[in-house]
Amino acid sequence: MTTADRIPLLVLGLGNVLCEDDGAGVAALHQLHREWDLPDGVLALDGGTLGLALLPLVERAEIVVLVDAIRGDGPPGTRLRIEGADVAPAVYERLSPHQIGVADLLGGAALLGRYPATVVLLGVVPASTDLGLGCTPDVAAAIPGLVDDVVAELAALGRPATRASVTTGPPRRVDDAALALGL
Amino acid sequence: MTHVVVDPVTRIEGHLRIEAEIEAGQVTSAWSSSTMFRGIELILQGRDPRDAWAFTQRICGVCTTVHAIASVRAVEDAIGATPPPNARVLRNLIMAAQCVQDHVIHFYHLHALDWVDVVSALSADPAATATLAQSISDWPESSPTYFTGVKARLQAFVDRGQLGPFGNAYWGHAAYRLPPEANLLAVAHYLAALEWQRDFIKLHAILGGKNPHLQSFLVGGMATPVDPNSQAALNIHTIAALRSLIARAKDFVTKVYLPDLLAIASFYKDWAGYGAGVGNYLVYGEYPMTEGKNAPKYIPSGVIRNRDLSKVEAFDDSKITEQIKHSWYKYDGGDDQGLHPAVGETHPTYTGPKPPYDLLDTSAKYSWLKSPRYDGQPMEVGPLARMLVAYVSGHERVKELVGGALGALGVGPEALFSTLGRVAARGIETQVLVEKISDWVDELADNMGRGDLRIHDSDRWDPSSWPKDSSGAGFHEAPRGALGHWVHVKDGKIARYQCVVPSTWNAGPRDAAEQAGPYESALLGTPVVDPEQPLEILRTVHSFDPCMACGVHVVDTKGRELARVKVR
Repeated sequence: MTTADRIPLLVLGLGNVLCEDDGAGVAALHQLHREWDLPDGVLALDGGTLGLALLPLVERAEIVVLVDAIRGDGPPGTRLRIEGADVAPAVYERLSPHQIGVADLLGGAALLGRYPATVVLLGVVPASTDLGLGCTPDVAAAIPGLVDDVVAELAALGRPATRASVTTGPPRRVDDAALALGL
Repeated sequence: MTHVVVDPVTRIEGHLRIEAEIEAGQVTSAWSSSTMFRGIELILQGRDPRDAWAFTQRICGVCTTVHAIASVRAVEDAIGATPPPNARVLRNLIMAAQCVQDHVIHFYHLHALDWVDVVSALSADPAATATLAQSISDWPESSPTYFTGVKARLQAFVDRGQLGPFGNAYWGHAAYRLPPEANLLAVAHYLAALEWQRDFIKLHAILGGKNPHLQSFLVGGMATPVDPNSQAALNIHTIAALRSLIARAKDFVTKVYLPDLLAIASFYKDWAGYGAGVGNYLVYGEYPMTEGKNAPKYIPSGVIRNRDLSKVEAFDDSKITEQIKHSWYKYDGGDDQGLHPAVGETHPTYTGPKPPYDLLDTSAKYSWLKSPRYDGQPMEVGPLARMLVAYVSGHERVKELVGGALGALGVGPEALFSTLGRVAARGIETQVLVEKISDWVDELADNMGRGDLRIHDSDRWDPSSWPKDSSGAGFHEAPRGALGHWVHVKDGKIARYQCVVPSTWNAGPRDAAEQAGPYESALLGTPVVDPEQPLEILRTVHSFDPCMACGVHVVDTKGRELARVKVR
């Protein structure tokens, strides 16, 4: 893939895996890759806390699905879906540790006139974003549902995923966002 | 008296909160607090020291390479590994590139909005902006048509009501002083810097495989193969790509960043009189020019005390201690002592108020940051410290650029001890590094040409080759300042790990002797025209490049919230 190619549908798992539930989006992304085969036109990446560094990807995408921890109503583990014009305010006010990076990312794309046509945020309410490896039990229990949400979103967008034929064995490699920057 | 509270929004590396008392329009007292516990040290205990860098680089999702470098150096010091020249040069390249990129982003995307009024740019005359741009630089994108386009884009953005990154600021504040044309110029270059950093990021990808979580570090060297004839290695093609990226970066820094910095600074010269801080400066030094522990460094190490520019003391790491009288920790031997990081302790004991709260009790413990001290004194770290130490040490290029900047602004060296001095030092350092970085590419190419393709010291890879019990320290000059990691390796595992990060030096609380930290000192005397919009406090705090974004709300002395404005 060259840096000039359009990306029909970009899925980004976001968060810091060292900060407990903040890494929920990244955890969901890895599970998605383990259990599902993604159709052509869907690029699903571990965006970590790259923030602005993801701009070269986001500005080439027609549709962006962000998977992330979101502060919101409901107990920890509650799943939320935010779409369109509501996404930008949400990342300013409701995302946790890396929120500024994601806000910069979306703001930067808008400022350059390259905001994707569709942006959807699929999130889970965190219990704790303190330093620590792995999600808390309530949020860990919500990860399979979050993966289902992503799969449902892909189907609704006309690019359904299919169950991976092999779900055992060594984990499949998850492309890192920066590797996909065409370098 | 008004009590101003700058409160946290983000936890990228730990919340930062500033409380300040304002009397007669000036800050009379300030307290800096981190409200998030950062216990990476505890996560590392018992792990393989060769993996420590991969964890530490995620301490902060934004400045990742810096912890990786400090960590591999600490472990190498402990186990006795010596990276070969190619690894040293590659690390220099990666570190300098990180610093250049961070400084440009800091200036345009994190700090400029403290000085630039975006809304005022909407009333600028594009033709006059073009004249201004052409008078300060021969950067080609400076036509009236170009600025008309930028203005239209900004107007459309504002009309849509989605200000995005420009949404939370004090537009129209009396402390903004740039004419509309200078504001439009700065907004144009805010966008240009956004484009530029997309390009420059490729350098990390070439050098390290990915960014920001580089995969290329290894204890003992680097994992990046170097081979002029291999497709899968740093080769003659990647050398050419590096040269072209660096040339573009140099062009941008020389023709956009530095001219903008000087142009903006010329309207804010009074800020050379605010924000001085503790007046002590500490630099570990960076960019080793040869192999080995005592290699000379391109940016020299040293200590300056009491703003005395007549001499630089040699840095001695045994003089570093961390104190906790005002920090939410306990020391086994009592809270009034200072401990060297090699024997440092991390026993969290939170005694602060239960959130949400209005004010901290700053007479007691009030921060998750410890108070690092050098020879018992608070020290400022970062670009200003580095440029001062280099200037006094006789670094030729630094002397030229510092002299040039002081001359252009018509101010003396004492102006460096200030908020404006900090901003200028960051720009000067960027220029120095973006010029130097191509030497390291040449060195790498020369080594390849001579057939020296070594990239890793594998003699010390196997734990059976290590001492049973050893300690090491890794020092690095991160973009924000002096960073140190200390590791104790016992029976092949990490027995103790301590990090002292730049923002702890700068943002730490008062110590056992009640000496204020650098942020706390720098805020004294800062004018605050409108306590509900403490823009001036942000200018000084942001001049240090804090790794934490801040929200601001202002309370009166009774603790009632008067206003809340989120700022980055």
